[in-house]
Amino acid sequence: MVKLIPTLKKITPTWWEIQWKEEPSEQLLKTRIAINEWLTDQYGNDLLEVRQGYQCLSLIWNKPPSPEFKLSLPSIIPIENKEISTWKIPVCYGGKYGKDLKRLCEEKGIPEIEFIELHSKTSYRLEFYGFLPGFMYLSGLGESICFPRKQFPERVVEAGSVGIGGNQTGIYPIDSPGGWQLIGRTPVSVFSPFDSPPVQPQAGDHILFVPISEDEFEQLKNEAPSLKKV
Amino acid sequence: MSKKQSFIQVIKTGPGTKIRDLGRMGYAKYGVPQSGPADLQALVWINHLLKNHPNDAVLEITQPGLKLQFESRSTICLAGAKAEIKLNGELVNSSGILEIPPLSILEVGKFQLGSILYLGIHLGFQTPVRLGSRSFARGITDQEFIRSGDQIIYFSYSEKSPSKLNSRAKWDLEYLKSEKIKAYTGPEFDLLSEDQKHQIKNQRFTLSQLKNGMAVQLEELILNELGSIYTAPVFPGTVQLTHGGKLICLLQDAQVTGGYPRILQIHQDDLRILAQKNPNQQIRFQLIKS
Repeated sequence: MVKLIPTLKKITPTWWEIQWKEEPSEQLLKTRIAINEWLTDQYGNDLLEVRQGYQCLSLIWNKPPSPEFKLSLPSIIPIENKEISTWKIPVCYGGKYGKDLKRLCEEKGIPEIEFIELHSKTSYRLEFYGFLPGFMYLSGLGESICFPRKQFPERVVEAGSVGIGGNQTGIYPIDSPGGWQLIGRTPVSVFSPFDSPPVQPQAGDHILFVPISEDEFEQLKNEAPSLKKV
Repeated sequence: MSKKQSFIQVIKTGPGTKIRDLGRMGYAKYGVPQSGPADLQALVWINHLLKNHPNDAVLEITQPGLKLQFESRSTICLAGAKAEIKLNGELVNSSGILEIPPLSILEVGKFQLGSILYLGIHLGFQTPVRLGSRSFARGITDQEFIRSGDQIIYFSYSEKSPSKLNSRAKWDLEYLKSEKIKAYTGPEFDLLSEDQKHQIKNQRFTLSQLKNGMAVQLEELILNELGSIYTAPVFPGTVQLTHGGKLICLLQDAQVTGGYPRILQIHQDDLRILAQKNPNQQIRFQLIKS
């Protein structure tokens, strides 16, 4: 059980927002997801969608909600101890697939192998999707490998590229312009517009990057496997 | 009346031509933008006049220079911007129903008022559905824009067109001249100073050259000391304030989250007023209560 101290704001008659002041944390993420589930359960028929941010939930109603809605929000919501899935994402670090890795390592004065170890030992929390179709906002990047975004974004970053931007790390799910430092690439597709849902990991799940060689990258690329749970 | 699959040959097109329907609702939780129409009312009006399903797909045209050839008979409907339209060399009205004989050539010339023209067809365009919608979107549909040489599938009539379409209804162009845009205060509006709020309420803003389907930037700066916010949901019609003091108004192809303070939310009925404006034209915000 966690105490819930959000504020509820009506932005337009059909866009309401539940907001927290707390810094993003695992606790806040779990609370957000629990409320998201509660809302879907209680008001699913009246809600067109619920969208997540680090410190908020946006509720889009198909018509203005009844005055009782505000009163019905529980002040305490149980965080179910449900099992968290961990997804393994193979990544070929450095070389032609992670062209900025060498430079980042030189700047920090650490060997590539150590950098890769730092990036792949952490299990990252999937906060929510946004920015691009299938783009995962992941939290948990170690401070020692945080890097500012590039001053001038590149015109095309290839789908599957794994990058670091500020204190965030993530995968470009589709070809896109982008300003993150590119450290590797995954041969696995994390987003498919042919499937519904087009992604597998859910908000709250954990993501683990698994280092692979260039040969393994080529092989997996041909096999086109789907994401695997640990 | 039987229907037969036909195609439009795109002889040439300017940049930015897209297929649109009402978009993808409920996929934002996977990062997928809605990609609905910029001028919702125009799409709804067209499908109503054609007696189509409200979600049938239309063409969204944002540049002069489009030239299409229809393989066989159909009925189309235009709405949105006022533009110079020629059907088989003859000037025709840029809004309302048009009967299309086989092998007709339709040309879109200069835009006289507004910047987005919609072209609907009886039973809608038949491009593939991805995630519940035909709206073109990068990474989701096979193509992001219509290109010269493309063929677009539609259903033609085998005999005569159905009569009794609401062909006498008139498309009202007044909104294309309006400068006033109703907007709610956004989630971060309260972080603004009184001076900033005053400026937003009273200033006239000029659309910059930086306009595309995702967003339009306004020229006049709001002196700003607000930093970023933690990434939060954004929508078509959300107005963001950047570190540099620029206002960015998100349009129909907006991504689903953003990291700048969200200071206004444009009323959905007025989003088309902004979307139809061209660079250098002016707007002002009228703040309303939710």
